Amino acid sequence: MVQIYNDYKDHADFLTVYVREAHPTDEWQMKSNVKEDVCYAQPKNLGQRVAIANDFIKRFNYPIAFGIDDINNAAEAAYSAWPERLYVIDESGRIAYRGGMGPFHYDPEEVRAWLAARYGAVKHDAPVALPATSSSTSPRTNFPYLAGAFLRPSASVDSDGTFAMAFLVPSCYKREIALKGRSINHGFGLVTMPGR
Amino acid sequence: MTLFWKWTIAVFLVLLLAVFLVLCKMAGSPKDAYGMVRYALPHMHRGTLKVGDDAPDARLVALDGSDHFHIRERTGGRPLVIIFGSYT
Repeated sequence: MVQIYNDYKDHADFLTVYVREAHPTDEWQMKSNVKEDVCYAQPKNLGQRVAIANDFIKRFNYPIAFGIDDINNAAEAAYSAWPERLYVIDESGRIAYRGGMGPFHYDPEEVRAWLAARYGAVKHDAPVALPATSSSTSPRTNFPYLAGAFLRPSASVDSDGTFAMAFLVPSCYKREIALKGRSINHGFGLVTMPGR
Repeated sequence: MTLFWKWTIAVFLVLLLAVFLVLCKMAGSPKDAYGMVRYALPHMHRGTLKVGDDAPDARLVALDGSDHFHIRERTGGRPLVIIFGSYT
């Protein structure tokens, strides 16, 4: 949607409406949430929802105008918007496009098609393939992923004999603490992260 | 228990199992199937809005948490694309 926004922001207004969480930790959390480190409980008050929305904006540098649905979920109810949905409202305040219910029928390209029919298509060059970055060339960061097992940790050893070990607190809120030392005497292996 | 009721219960259980397996397939795992039924289905509504209807108004909160505005304030001069969603 950000690409569509960039293409048509001179012709149409865009507004993101933040609704209740789709996969909070205290309801139906999915593995992808853990993997992507997007772990939030369902907000119980407006302040919590505002905080999560601000986290989202900050993480992605999200450029589109933002409004947050009140904790009574009035906007979500009015538009049957949960978990995600797209609408286009025309100049007269009428619904010009009503997208399908997400996730399976959420299709930003339909919005693009609507805008293109009115303002013309915006073409883009084919994306340039970026050279693959090899994390294996960075021994400090290329640690195998061990799911919660207490094993001898894997570590990389630099030429000067120091090594780095990455510890990952095995919870959804990942923190990495890198320690440098000269020996591995402990058998405490922790969940480690593959290099990013 | 008569044979009829035994067969009825057996067929019902087989159908229930089939529904559960389909849900597991759709959702990806038994845990996700439970999550879908318990948390998602009660909140998913097709709604009655259709193209041509007046767009409903709603009050929204700005990112600072204190300012408010209405969806209708953003309509008028140009088409408005509304993206509903959440972080998770």
